[in-house]
Amino acid sequence: MSRIGRKRELWGLLTGLSFVSPWIVGFSALTFYPFVATLYWSFCRYDLLAPPEPVALSNYARLADELVHGGRFGQAVWNTVYYAGLSVPLSIALGVGLAILLSYPARGQSVYRTLVFLPSVMPVVAGSILWMWILDPQAGVLNRLLTVFGIDGPGWFKSTAEAAWLPAWLQGTGGFGSKDALVLMSLWGVGNFMIIYLAALGDIPKQLYEAAELDGAGALRRFWYITLPLLTPVIFFNLVIGLIHAFQAFAQIYIVSEGQGAPQGSTLMLSLHLFLSAFKYLDMGYASAMAWSLFVLVLLVTIGLFRSSRHWVYYQGVGR
Amino acid sequence: MSRTGLKAVVFVALIALLGALAARERSAVSSDTPADRSEVIFWHFWGGHDRKVVEGIVERFNASQNRYWVRSIAMPGSNLDLKLFLGVAGGDPPDVVNQDDPIVGDWAARRTMTALDELATPAELDEIRASLFPAALSLGTYQNRLYALCNGLDVRALYYDADLLDEYGLEPPQTIDELDAAALRIAPPDVDGSRARYGFLPDPRRIWAWGIVFGGQFYDWDTSEITVDHERNIAALQWMSSYSRRYGADEVLRFRAGDQKLPGAAFPLLQGRYAMIMDGQWRVRELAENREAAVAAGQKPRKYGVTRLPAPANGRQDAGWVNGNFFVVPAGGKNPRGAWEFMKFWAGLAGHEKDAAQACADGGWIPVSQSVVDQPVFQEYLARYPSFRLFVELARSPNQIPTPQIPGAAYLQDEVIRAAEDAIYGGTPAADALRSAQQRIKQRLSEIQRDAK
Repeated sequence: MSRIGRKRELWGLLTGLSFVSPWIVGFSALTFYPFVATLYWSFCRYDLLAPPEPVALSNYARLADELVHGGRFGQAVWNTVYYAGLSVPLSIALGVGLAILLSYPARGQSVYRTLVFLPSVMPVVAGSILWMWILDPQAGVLNRLLTVFGIDGPGWFKSTAEAAWLPAWLQGTGGFGSKDALVLMSLWGVGNFMIIYLAALGDIPKQLYEAAELDGAGALRRFWYITLPLLTPVIFFNLVIGLIHAFQAFAQIYIVSEGQGAPQGSTLMLSLHLFLSAFKYLDMGYASAMAWSLFVLVLLVTIGLFRSSRHWVYYQGVGR
Repeated sequence: MSRTGLKAVVFVALIALLGALAARERSAVSSDTPADRSEVIFWHFWGGHDRKVVEGIVERFNASQNRYWVRSIAMPGSNLDLKLFLGVAGGDPPDVVNQDDPIVGDWAARRTMTALDELATPAELDEIRASLFPAALSLGTYQNRLYALCNGLDVRALYYDADLLDEYGLEPPQTIDELDAAALRIAPPDVDGSRARYGFLPDPRRIWAWGIVFGGQFYDWDTSEITVDHERNIAALQWMSSYSRRYGADEVLRFRAGDQKLPGAAFPLLQGRYAMIMDGQWRVRELAENREAAVAAGQKPRKYGVTRLPAPANGRQDAGWVNGNFFVVPAGGKNPRGAWEFMKFWAGLAGHEKDAAQACADGGWIPVSQSVVDQPVFQEYLARYPSFRLFVELARSPNQIPTPQIPGAAYLQDEVIRAAEDAIYGGTPAADALRSAQQRIKQRLSEIQRDAK
């Protein structure tokens, strides 16, 4: 290559780099550096002011101890898994269901679609405060409505009950508590997912349905053998994204739990425990170890999902 | 001009424009500080009505002398300590901060605050030691050195609905037994269905007050030991849990949800939700305003009163948990001298008693020294709000004890409250809850103390 050609190439590279530099700087300073730094800090005791002091694995040992003996970290892991395990599958089921309902041509279809999507544009803080009002155990709209039907409404954000913990129901102490209320709140924002399903539904070729109809397949069979399999790529996408979001949920939890995980730590999710440990109790080493554990947990779950996707995700035009 | 040349010109012009905007932005920030004054940056968390009071104090200070100029920056919300902390860690702290979280121990141990004996003259230090109420002094002291100057105390007492007590033929309770009897009389436990009103319900956060009232302590100053599982703390927590045992933890939790600070929610006593409730001096003005509103509307105002926290036979009188607002001077601040002048002005030192009294009367705050209380302007305030006198009396009491100012105080405070929640709502025996909290706290605090050394 000539000297001029090389110079021009270098100039081109520099121009390109300068155009992406806002991103490079932001990524390096705000994502990559903390990523590496917290890995180091997770092996240190660090209070943000004094220099970090290496303590080998003691932060991880503490996490393991709290996990086994039911300390705060164990509680946070359980809360997070409970929340993610309920809110993600439910939001997929509800999102798919709504998308299918809203894909049928009907009068005012676009109005219904807008209505379902509307909550997704509500800021988290405003939405959370609204739900605290709705789910207030005494003065809230929902419990008042239940009273009309003679039902003594649950304690919602003020109760430690876990509706999905079935043994409690058998003992007669079952009920809906703070985490269930958070799940309910997350379902309210299902419009985001619904839009994606709606787009995917529009992509399913009509001739598949026509062929199935000619073969005498009813609506249920058409859904089971055509709609659902062809939605699986989008369901898979939403599953992964939804899980990551659920593991990282913070703002709404901070608001409804008085910033403490109230009542009695029943809404103390990993993200909140991490925040409090790092910035309230100045325990940055422990918080970093927790952040890395959270990262590894999410990574493992995601890898597991990708592995399993081979068995249940169908891509059009790709043979299995 | 060649293409490259044109690009270069545009690039340089853009950079220059950005630079000019940034410079403008910087100068706009402090444009209100007169050129001949030295600027003092002051962070605080007050909003609403109090914000105006604070602005009034700052204005009076700025007018009172010609060397310094205080610029106040309001940071409402619950994370002022975090912002301040990041400011210090990042090397750009404000000159003076007003706080009310238990951070003095943490900050002092990590040398992120300037000790006030580096700013105050020996005479001023003597004045502080001689005049400040014990609680105010204790709030600012870490290892016998003064790090924070308290400018207002928050004290709690038992408010009651006098008309309601009259209805039941009850007197304001003076002992724990009387309090229990009155509470049970007004809300008998064996009634079906949910209640609209309780006689009294203990708040888990107030374990810090009731522990002291019962004769307990959370920290032993002589041995520097955590004493969360002190037997009198356990007695206090057992008593607190007796309410949720009687009424049902779920029922109590559900009812108390209605007390939370949602927008528009008023003092639960005014809503008729309780016959008796523990709360701070700021409710005095709210009750008076409520009374004035009722009179203005031509209604007969309901009578409310306030009394000391009732104590058991072997407990402490005039006792409780006290906290307060205090000033700290972050290390690395650019104008500690100006900060110190402003602090003296507000707290009522070195001849500023009248200014402090004005601030307390405007804000409805409890002064930190008798010389401020004695000022005519504050005496007028007491004449207008007679029930405030009780709070001033309590503020003087040596039995008003704050969270100890030690490194890890925030953790200590929260863990004790969590233990109380476990006992009150979770049914954990009080002794078990406090003992396991004691273990966790000791473990964590020993780590923190190692770090701080």
